[in-house]
Amino acid sequence: MSDPVLSVRDLHVRFGSKRGVAHVVRGVSYDLHAGETLALVGESGSGKSVSTLALTKLIPMPPGRIDGEVHFGGRELVAMSEAELRSIRGNDIGFVFQDPMTSLNPVHPIGRQLTEGMRHHLGLSASAARDRAVELLSLVGIPDAANRLDAYPHQFSGGMRQRVVIAIGLSCEPKVLIADEATTALDVTTQAQIVDLVERLQEELGLAVVWITHDLGVVAGIADRVMVMYAGEIVEEADVDDLYGSPRHPYTVGLLGSLPVLGADEPGELTTIHGLPPDPTAMPPGCAFHPRCEFRDDDRCRDEHPPLRDADDAGDGHRVRSFYEVPADVREAASTSSQVAEAPPNAGDPLPAEASEGDR
Amino acid sequence: MSAVTNATDPGAAGSGRDDVLVDVQDLQVHFPVHGNGVLRRRVGSVKAVDGVSFQVRRGETLGLVGESGCGKTTTGLALLRLVEPTGGRVVFDGTDVGSLGRGELRSLRRRMAMIFQDPYASLDPRMSIGASVEEALRIHGLHGDRRDQRVAELLETVGLNPDYASRYPHEFSGGQRQRVGIARALAVEPDFIVCDEPIAALDVSIQAQVMNLLRELQRELDLTYLFIAHDLAAVQHISDRIAVMYLGRIVEVADRRAVYDEPSHPYTRALLSAIPVPHPGRERGRQRILLHGELPTPQDPPSGCNFRTRCPEVFEPCDRVDPTLQACTGEEHRCACHLYGVEGVEVEPSHHPDARGVAGRP
Amino acid sequence: MSATEATADDRPVVDEHRSQWRQTWSILVSNRMALFGLVVLGLLVVAALLGELLAPHGANAQGFEFYAAPSLDHPFGTDNLGRDVFSRVLIGARTSLQVGAVSVGISLVAGTLLGLVAGYRGGWLDAVLMRSMDVLFAFPIVLLAIAIVAVLGPSITNAMIAIGVAFTPIFARVVRGSVLSVREEVFVRAVRSLGASDVRIVLRHILPNVAAPIIVQTSLSFAFAILTEAALSFLGVGVQPPTPAWGLMLQEGRGVIDLAWWMGLFPGLAIFLTVMAFNVVGDGLRDALDPKQRSIIESRGQGVDA
Repeated sequence: MSDPVLSVRDLHVRFGSKRGVAHVVRGVSYDLHAGETLALVGESGSGKSVSTLALTKLIPMPPGRIDGEVHFGGRELVAMSEAELRSIRGNDIGFVFQDPMTSLNPVHPIGRQLTEGMRHHLGLSASAARDRAVELLSLVGIPDAANRLDAYPHQFSGGMRQRVVIAIGLSCEPKVLIADEATTALDVTTQAQIVDLVERLQEELGLAVVWITHDLGVVAGIADRVMVMYAGEIVEEADVDDLYGSPRHPYTVGLLGSLPVLGADEPGELTTIHGLPPDPTAMPPGCAFHPRCEFRDDDRCRDEHPPLRDADDAGDGHRVRSFYEVPADVREAASTSSQVAEAPPNAGDPLPAEASEGDR
Repeated sequence: MSAVTNATDPGAAGSGRDDVLVDVQDLQVHFPVHGNGVLRRRVGSVKAVDGVSFQVRRGETLGLVGESGCGKTTTGLALLRLVEPTGGRVVFDGTDVGSLGRGELRSLRRRMAMIFQDPYASLDPRMSIGASVEEALRIHGLHGDRRDQRVAELLETVGLNPDYASRYPHEFSGGQRQRVGIARALAVEPDFIVCDEPIAALDVSIQAQVMNLLRELQRELDLTYLFIAHDLAAVQHISDRIAVMYLGRIVEVADRRAVYDEPSHPYTRALLSAIPVPHPGRERGRQRILLHGELPTPQDPPSGCNFRTRCPEVFEPCDRVDPTLQACTGEEHRCACHLYGVEGVEVEPSHHPDARGVAGRP
Repeated sequence: MSATEATADDRPVVDEHRSQWRQTWSILVSNRMALFGLVVLGLLVVAALLGELLAPHGANAQGFEFYAAPSLDHPFGTDNLGRDVFSRVLIGARTSLQVGAVSVGISLVAGTLLGLVAGYRGGWLDAVLMRSMDVLFAFPIVLLAIAIVAVLGPSITNAMIAIGVAFTPIFARVVRGSVLSVREEVFVRAVRSLGASDVRIVLRHILPNVAAPIIVQTSLSFAFAILTEAALSFLGVGVQPPTPAWGLMLQEGRGVIDLAWWMGLFPGLAIFLTVMAFNVVGDGLRDALDPKQRSIIESRGQGVDA
């Protein structure tokens, strides 16, 4: 495999607080290759957002502290000065955040916000930047782009605004795009448009994408590889098919089982994970998940911190952070492949006869 | 004061009229829009809910699904008259809710309760959770001498430790707070609960807990739910029947299976195809129906069929005939679309600004 | 899991269980300026309650040297009638606090009531009430007070009524503004969905949630009320001699500033300190009661990550 674009090694993020040090990212490592989509999945508080913000030190420091190594383009980012990082943020690594309203400045027209980074990072002239802005807006599917450069964010709908934010994220031709819950605030039909757009752009531009979300449905559609985060750690990592087809960590199994499945015949009880994630200022000594684990909870789980290791009889690069894996019969029941009903009949179905006869 | 309904309603399902608990007939909620001038003259109205009819049968869960801005939440609020309907009728167990005076309305609210989306915002931050639940009892003078005991029972019913009754909402997690919201709704011993996006603000594994709880309570206490959500998978999990809303109208009503197996309205099809399924193989092979254009503003909806500006199937009658809900694959499966026969009210066709081709102008 | 039994999931997320008021208090006293203000106010209250006992001489005890400069016997000197200025300043604290308390009390009650009604009811009633408040607000406060005193006659009681009326619009506005936003909160709708009456909603839910701005406004108004009383007394339409009041003493000292600067300086300093104390406490309260401030402190407690 080619060299990774982005390589993260043993990343830690800690925040000082009144109640002690909150250790919110605890030794995250991964490689990201060109053209690849890596999904970072987890619930709120799992550290998935902070771990990516920390890549370019986009967290307040202090109280935050970052340790570990982030290699990007032959350079190490954690030790880099703020001035050097500024030339990387938005330029080599683009960001798309959750809320398109708050990530755009309401008092400036979108054209200005789009061209700002290009003029700064790429040194384009005002008119060249403007031309490129029109190009970008058309690329992300905003009609009549030339006339809309002078429009203000509030004049766009939520979906259109998120397209603008993506255009800004792409404006300096980054090698890596980080999408942090980029479709969470959007309706499903709009989400489908945005997911479609990012996939298309990735193909055209050879981008590497880190897609951060809590939505396991979106992940299934967009990701090549998935990392599941819990309490600041990667607890399971696998190719997307392996993860959904044969999840090994009790937390992953629990998460998948708690999803209602569209089109299920007789909806039964949903699996739930009891309890709450641990307090980041007071992590349990052993496995971070053991207080909630229904599968197994013995002395080893309580005392020993499990390493991220290769899963038994699994696909390449399927790794899991637990001493015991969920047995095949249990994970079979939880894996979504067994629950998803037959292919949804909606798409591509012939419509009633009247439709095709109608005057289109 | 009570008005028993015998009115025949074109949108109503044909059978089982006797066990209908909530009968909504041509409900409208229009919000006035005022100009900026000194006189603030009324310049138009936002048709948040524009002629919605459905029935909720005793003991069932009717799911109301739609995207943001479709009017589903406003519909729920209008059922309890938490916003005043501007037209149509809501008949609850034989009583016309619109005809009630203030006092009668307050006592009706013992029988209809509501659970809100954001469990943090829906609890008074300055009241302990026990006091919030107790207040519901106090309002209706229930369990006068043993209210504390009843509060403890209610908290236990929703899976909370009664010892924490004196704690404040900010001390709890989102899922726990939603349990408090449910306990408070149950306190008045209602027959009918409007659940407005009760899981949208919660984490995935917590959503499952709350849905399981709602289903269990329904079985034990014989409750009837209107379950409002944007997440069709969740709605389908919990509902017996599903109504799909688009731009202030119901476009399709059917049994929970039929919505998935035989989605009939083009909007329902698009919605279903857009929902990501947690199955990588399925996702890759899927053909999405991508809707083009933007949701038209409810202040100026398109003439005829609401959906025609984004519909992939649009044809001749769509801009001049306003479709009514009609039977499509069966008497219980109703759909407002001309694909199943042109049925509806003739209107003046308009060239709508949101229509395709000129979409997305500022 | 079963819904009918309590499970391990139900322990609260936040461990420390502290009432909101104690939390506010601890934020307030951690602010040095506010703490200083609180100490000054504490001393003032002591002086107001026990002034006669603490003062070395009576407020109107005469017989000392006229215009004596500050000395060990008379730390603030004596005035034109040979009275001990220190004793008069000490005893005058009562007048000032009394005027502050009564006049702010009047405006607090009237303004809160008007603001609650206008904000909750809205519509024409809101328009009528708030326009009349605007009219009242348009007059300079001292001018309005003078007008009221001119009608009722100069006395300390009338001065208090005048200040109370003049300050009412400020409270009405602050309360109405807060009510307008709290009224739209989901929890108000939730309580309404339970069948709660308007009176219950306003008293049990809206009022406690607009308490913070009212408290801040009260403390700031206290300072203004004392200043206004001083101004009215200075102009001769407030407290009447020989009652010891800081404004009045300032006025008496004005004419002889080159002869006996201490007659004006010390009452002036007392006014300055009191007003400043109320202001810094008000500012401190504003911070301590600000939900944003609190959520920052809470999030520090709950850890990070979104």
